[in-house]
Amino acid sequence: MKLIVSEGNPHGIKVLAAAGLWAGGADIQRLQQEEKVVPFLAQPKLPALQLDNGNFLFIPNAICSYFFLSSGKEQSDLSNQWMEWEAAELQPASIAALYAHVVQGKKREEALQSIQKSLHHLDQSLAKTKSTYLLNGSLSVADVVVWASVYPLYTDLSSLPEDLTHFKNWFTNISQLEECQKAAESIVRGQGASAFKLYLQKSPAPL
Amino acid sequence: MGGVGSSGVLVGSAWCLCALPTKMAVGELGALERCLGLKEGKYSSKAQGGGQVPVLQINKGPSLAGLATIASYLAKEAKREELLGASIEEKAIVQQWLEYRITRIDRLSSKEDIRSILKDLNSYMEDKVYLAGNTITLADILIYYGLHPLMADLSIQEKETYINVSRWFSHIQHYSGIRQHLPSLIFIKTRIYSNLH
Repeated sequence: MKLIVSEGNPHGIKVLAAAGLWAGGADIQRLQQEEKVVPFLAQPKLPALQLDNGNFLFIPNAICSYFFLSSGKEQSDLSNQWMEWEAAELQPASIAALYAHVVQGKKREEALQSIQKSLHHLDQSLAKTKSTYLLNGSLSVADVVVWASVYPLYTDLSSLPEDLTHFKNWFTNISQLEECQKAAESIVRGQGASAFKLYLQKSPAPL
Repeated sequence: MGGVGSSGVLVGSAWCLCALPTKMAVGELGALERCLGLKEGKYSSKAQGGGQVPVLQINKGPSLAGLATIASYLAKEAKREELLGASIEEKAIVQQWLEYRITRIDRLSSKEDIRSILKDLNSYMEDKVYLAGNTITLADILIYYGLHPLMADLSIQEKETYINVSRWFSHIQHYSGIRQHLPSLIFIKTRIYSNLH
């Protein structure tokens, strides 16, 4: 199988981290973001995973799940719920905040307003479970998907919100995992949030 | 919501999709419960991502939120886990189309959007009977429910343009127990606009 990611695309972080954690042998290819890879989609859409039988996965969370399941693990209802929340609520808010900051040049604090509610939700849930991870017990695909969705806004760990202790500890913990660090660094390349500028400029403006 | 009605019937119905997601989602989960032979669950809703998401209260546990999450739970409750995909690959593909339903189909905002997803789906379905391969899964059921209001508004000519989607849709709506309260849509099996191809 071949995992195809593109330069400066924030969605590459989660699939690379999941590949590193749960699918050591994945062949990784890096392309420019305009390249069309998935034959049935009219618009270029990366990251994508080409499976050995020729089928494609083109939704990043589904690619992460594929890697996670391939390592013999199972997804619980709670895991599904976190991933659906990430897709429906967190990700649009996070991309909107990133767009406001990096493309529209709004101040960080102002740009991050749109994501406060989601971060509070994360903080409260983590406080309730009293666990290092979103699901009781161990690191799961839900942690990686949610972490990677917020990461582009906090490439600099020192800027994490002090008042959200549980969120801050959880986020720092995941960020320090070697596979997550490597995945993030290979997309951000030391440029902070501005690494995503070109990608965001070429994407439709968030609503 | 200014200007929504100005671009024609198709956009009008897509707007209804966005405006009534909870009502739709809960009705849909009820249809899925009947289809799976389950008793009706207790649903409420909560605000999320600018819309409303369904919440299911479970007797022996915490509540579950989200259309795809609840639908997957119901399939397991009904001991129909094969609907979530038999192999690892099928499981990931089912999850992919469930997310596509929530993030793309439920957020269509223009006629161009509708054309664009129908074009992609038509191309994807060219060599497939079902979304995840050779057997029916939850992805077929929820994409069918999600596309129903859109397909109901297509002209005969548009249905022929998206011939693979139409073939798949027609197949699913005749599949035992899935259609429930939804009106059956008419598809013509012989092409009448063949000069388009």
